[in-house]
Amino acid sequence: MHFNSKDIDLYASQKDYVDTAVVPLIELDLTASGMKASAGASEYLQSLTVILEKQFKGRILLLPPISYVRATDRTELGDQLKKELSETGFKHIFYLTTDAKWRSVEDLDNVLWLPAIPTGDMDQSFKKSVMEDQLRQVLPLFTKEWTHHS
Amino acid sequence: MSNNRVSRRQFLGYTLTGVGGFMAAGMLMPMVRFAVDPILQQHDAGDYVLTDQAAADITEEPVRVDFTFEQVDAWYTSEVTNSAWVYKEGDKLIALSPVCKHLGCTVNWGGDPEQPTQFFCPCHAGRYEKNGQNIPGTPPLGPLDEYDVQEQDGFVAIGQVKPNTLV
Repeated sequence: MHFNSKDIDLYASQKDYVDTAVVPLIELDLTASGMKASAGASEYLQSLTVILEKQFKGRILLLPPISYVRATDRTELGDQLKKELSETGFKHIFYLTTDAKWRSVEDLDNVLWLPAIPTGDMDQSFKKSVMEDQLRQVLPLFTKEWTHHS
Repeated sequence: MSNNRVSRRQFLGYTLTGVGGFMAAGMLMPMVRFAVDPILQQHDAGDYVLTDQAAADITEEPVRVDFTFEQVDAWYTSEVTNSAWVYKEGDKLIALSPVCKHLGCTVNWGGDPEQPTQFFCPCHAGRYEKNGQNIPGTPPLGPLDEYDVQEQDGFVAIGQVKPNTLV
């Protein structure tokens, strides 16, 4: 489900079934040299989370992307997010990111790090097949988590 | 000869009626056209979206067929890709919507290795028969929706979604 008022109404009435939150983490790099790569990574991550939401609509709540500047302390941000989400009823929380710095944050579980693929210059059908390949890499991680801790 | 003379008064009367009639018709015609417009709209082929799946390749085994159309959301136009599970029952094409009737996940044919001839929803293990009938005891409460489907120039074309008519 998306983070909009219509889906949240449905979420509130189906809390038992929607037990997974997905948090995209996006680093903002606004320097002249890094801006394009940052935008491409953000585009890629948002496309991926949208098709992930389409596949698992009834079980995940896709939060809006958390964006932060380069200087942000990842550990601190992670702790804050974890604390906020721990007060909800979500049994599983996934963080999706293309930012390699999250790999060194130890106390955050289920951080899925994916290398960003610059999809901006691809034509529609090629982009679609690339994104579906990416989705196929991610899906088993979700189903595995669900079957192991259900 | 003098019996058929048109007086000045009559001539002006005829002329005014004629011109007035034209003006009234000029105003009424567009209004009538507006009123009956929905009847004149073409409804056949336009509502179908052509896919690149050849109809001859469809067998009794459901395959996923993607189709793309433009969706307008307020002032934002986007290309939306949906899919359908298409198979043949005899010679008849059947297209089922992949949207689970429970909470809207996407179902897969044979997604559960133990039930290779059923649709499976990975979210809460909902299952459906090949014709879309939901299996009692699993979370979904109704059968999968169906698409209007037809063959156009050898390719599958997908139309509007409708409640399941097979079950």
